[in-house]
Formats: sequence, structure tokens, C-alpha cells
Amino acid sequence: MKQIAFLAVLAAVALALPLVIGENPYIIGILISMLMMAALSSAWNILGGYAGQYSFGHAAYFGAGAYTTLILLTLYNLNPLFCIAVGIVVASIIALVTGSIVFRLRGHYFGLASIAVAEVVRLSVLNFNFTGGAQGILLSDVALWDLDLNSKTPFYYGMLLVLVVTLSITAYLRRSKTGYYLQAIREDQDAAASLGINIYFYKNKALLLSAALTSVLGSLYGLYIRFIDTSAVLDLRLSIEIILTAIIGGVGTLWGPVIGALLLVPLAEILRSNLIGDVLIKAGLVSETSGVGLFLKGSLANAHVLLYGIITVLCILYLPKGILGLFRRKK
Amino acid sequence: MIQHLLHISHVSKHFGGNVAVSDVSFSVEEEQIFGLIGPNGAGKTTLFNCITGFFPATSGDVIFDTKKINALRPDEICKLGMARTWQRVKPLGSLTVLENVMVGAFSVTTVAKEAEANAKEQLQVVGLNDYATKSAGSLPIGLKKKLELARVLATRPKMLLLDEICGGLNHTETDTILDIIRGIRKKGATIIFIEHDMKAVTSICDRIVVLNSGEKLAEGTPGEITTNPDVIAAYLGGGHHA
Repeated sequence: MKQIAFLAVLAAVALALPLVIGENPYIIGILISMLMMAALSSAWNILGGYAGQYSFGHAAYFGAGAYTTLILLTLYNLNPLFCIAVGIVVASIIALVTGSIVFRLRGHYFGLASIAVAEVVRLSVLNFNFTGGAQGILLSDVALWDLDLNSKTPFYYGMLLVLVVTLSITAYLRRSKTGYYLQAIREDQDAAASLGINIYFYKNKALLLSAALTSVLGSLYGLYIRFIDTSAVLDLRLSIEIILTAIIGGVGTLWGPVIGALLLVPLAEILRSNLIGDVLIKAGLVSETSGVGLFLKGSLANAHVLLYGIITVLCILYLPKGILGLFRRKK
Repeated sequence: MIQHLLHISHVSKHFGGNVAVSDVSFSVEEEQIFGLIGPNGAGKTTLFNCITGFFPATSGDVIFDTKKINALRPDEICKLGMARTWQRVKPLGSLTVLENVMVGAFSVTTVAKEAEANAKEQLQVVGLNDYATKSAGSLPIGLKKKLELARVLATRPKMLLLDEICGGLNHTETDTILDIIRGIRKKGATIIFIEHDMKAVTSICDRIVVLNSGEKLAEGTPGEITTNPDVIAAYLGGGHHA
């Protein structure tokens, strides 16, 4: 109950935020990225964190949503909401095919197979014609009700809505039969089976839920950016970023993925946008032409992925339960 | 008429060329406490795994409550009312003691409140109520064994298969567990009991089967078993060596 109240308060703050900061597209853009990564990581967390099945291929479901939506829109100009729904169906089919085969195996096979499936999807999309191949898909115009879809604000609320839905589902699951069953499977499969848990069914259920939510986010992303290609929505890098966000925040906790996203997305942005270098140079602390200045403006901007890596290693070494683990002492 | 709740008929289990269980047959009556004993490697746990669906038997039939269950999955067998514990305890480490038992309770309800009430009742039965909010992984071995017991009780089984539930426990702890088991039987459950400790077995079991090298060596009442020369030979190592 407390969690739900907390969720409601945060949602209210997030709802009001665009009104407070006004229409600054740069800031709204970063906020959208944060909400999206928080939601992606939370959706992944249902399967990876609660059921303990690490998917390294969630980009496949994200891409399934994005591609389905943009292909249907560019070809038939259908209602975007209908396109999102079809995206869910496509992602669910991929999830069911993967799960029904791979969940018969134990151990780390699911993790490996999830990479394989995601790569198959990526290479297929890259080589088919109707997907635009390497050129990707450009969406010129889209309309829904009388929303101004050229502005970023509708997508801010769209991402926020999916995040709230994902967190609500997670909060509900944790106190339900399914949630307990997923955690039991994570802790010990044999014990779970001996207590009447159909492991195969519940793993597939978690995968399906996780994939469906992820595909909605992919669809929203496609509608928001209006240009997609395989490197933007189907890349292994995206799958890994989703996992890292959850690990750094706290795997298998309600708020871990959100905390991970709140931290990592701005961090990546600061590094990517040269903010540190600019501030130091403007303050006159570092000369722009000095070695340090060149390093800050040049190399460091490309280092955000490396920094992600370093933070992850530090987290695994010192915070195995993520940042949230710091505040949670086991009884 | 005598009710056979479980009927094991010519069950064998081979792992490649290894014969772990060979042509074992016996029947367990309702509300019996049935002992399954034998030296290390006799095939007791393998037989449990065949009965509960973890390793399907190579040949032979397992009939539970008039239903053939050889080809069923462990979770399906649990749903039919047969639950097992593990010799090597398997607590769901990051969950609390109460939550562990609730997982068992969810096999008979989908409502969290009912599962919790059931779980609390079972914690009371095994005397773990003071530990409800502790994490299961942090319990000492004696309490983990009790947790195993509470968890399977929450599935409301007709039959319990207890795999060395007293293993690694001291005399007081063993006596407590045996008392709990007697209490469970009184409520109408049937129990199969794997144990090394002859004293524990003979004091609680109505009937005993002795396995040796995968084969059934003897069957009878505790009195018959303890005086059986073959059994004595197997236990003292005077018999046939593999």
C-alpha cells in the first residue's frame, strides 16, 4: 500500500514537471529518455529480476514494437494506437516462440538463446525489403486525436504512463501468487517444482508480460523519433544498457530500475554533451587548447559507454544488490 | 478393505549403464508411516525422484490414489496431493520464512491472504512462528528442515515423502521432528520416510522397506526388519559388496 502511495506521489510530480520547466525541448528530451529507460529496465526486471531469467535480447521486443508500428503507419496510415497493439502481438509471438523452446532447458541457456533470437531478428530486419533494410524507416507525419505530435510533451506523458503501468504491475505481482512463484523459480527450480509450480508456464508468463511492455516502449520511441534503423532499436547495446540500468539500480526490486535510469541517463548525457568540459573551460579552470581541455572536449565525450562499464564493475564488486541495496538491510 | 494410496510396481531406474533402482515393488496404505531405509547409495533418493516426477522411471509403474503418475511433471504430482522434502534442504534463500511457506500454500489457493493464513498455521505446526519474518537463507540447519516440512504441509498433501528430514540433527531436534510427523499422521496424512538412523525409523514406522544396491532387500514391520539377517549384514557391511 505504501509503495502504491509513493508511486502516486511520484507520478503526480512527474505529471506536473513539464508545466514547471516549460517547453524546453532539450530537458524534456532527457526526461523522456529517463522515463523510457526506467520503464524498459522495469519491464526487463519482471523477467530478469523476479524470475531470475536474464534476457540479453530485449532489443528484439523493443524493435518489434518500433518496426511494426512504423511499417503499418507508413504503408497503411492506420491509427497509431492500433499499430502499437499489433506491435504487442508481434513481440508476444517472438517471445512465445523463444520461451516455448528455450525454457525447456535449464541454466544459462535462456540468456544465450535470447542473444541469438535478438540477432536473428536484427539481421532479418536488416535484410528484408519491407523493413527498409539498412536505410531504416522514416515516418513523415503522424496524427492521433488532436495531440500535437511534433511537440515532445505527448511522448513525455506516454512514456510516463507506460512506466507507471509497469511499476504498478510489478508492485501488484510482488504480492500475488505469480510474483511469489517467479521468485521461487529464481531461488530454486527444483524446490519450486516440488511445491506445485509449473516452471515452464510461469517463465513464459513473465517473458510475455515483459516483452509486451517492452514493445509498447519501442512503438512510442518510433513515433517519437520518427526514424528507426536496426542500430537504433535492435542493437545488442540497447539490450545491455537495459540490463545495466537494472543491475546498477537494484535487480529484483521495484524501484531499482527507476533509480538506475535516473542516475545513468543524465550521466551519459553529461558525458556525451561535454558538459563537464564546457563548465570547466567557461569557469576558466582549464584552457580549451591545453591537453586537458582537448581530452575533456574530445575523448571523454566518447567515454560514456566505458564509464557505464566501470560503474557496473564497481557496483558488482561493492554493491551486489545495486544502489537500492545500500538502503536495504536484510532482516 | 485396505486402501493402497501408493503402489510401486516393478520400478527400475537406469542412468546409462548404471542401475540405480532395480525392479522395486511395494504398496503404502493410507495413514501409514512407511520407512524406506538402506545404506548410502542404495537408491532411496533416486526412488523418491522417480515417484515425485523428477526422474521418470525407466520401467515400471507408480500408481498414486488409483492414478498412474509415471509420466507427470513434479508440479502436477504435487497438485495431486503428493509432496516431498529434500535431503539437501532447498530454502528459497532471499524470501522470508513465511513467504517460503506461502509459496507452498499457493498450490491450493490463488488468494494471498488465504495463503498467508495457511502458511502461518503450518509455521505454528512446526514451531517456526517466531522466525516468520527472518530470511530463510539465514536459518540454521535444524530450522531449515522444519521449514521444508512446513512448506510441504502448506500444499495440503495426502502423502508426504520426507527425505532424511532428521539428517544432521541432534537427538532433541530429531525427537521434535518425529513428534511433528506423528501429529501430521494423526490428521490423516500418509508418510514415506527415508532415513539412515535406524532408531528413528524403528520408533516411528509401521512398515519398512530396505533397499540395498538398488534392489529391495526386505520388507516388514520394524520388529521383523531389525532381526532380519540380510538387513543386518547389509548394514554392518558383511553382505555382498558391489
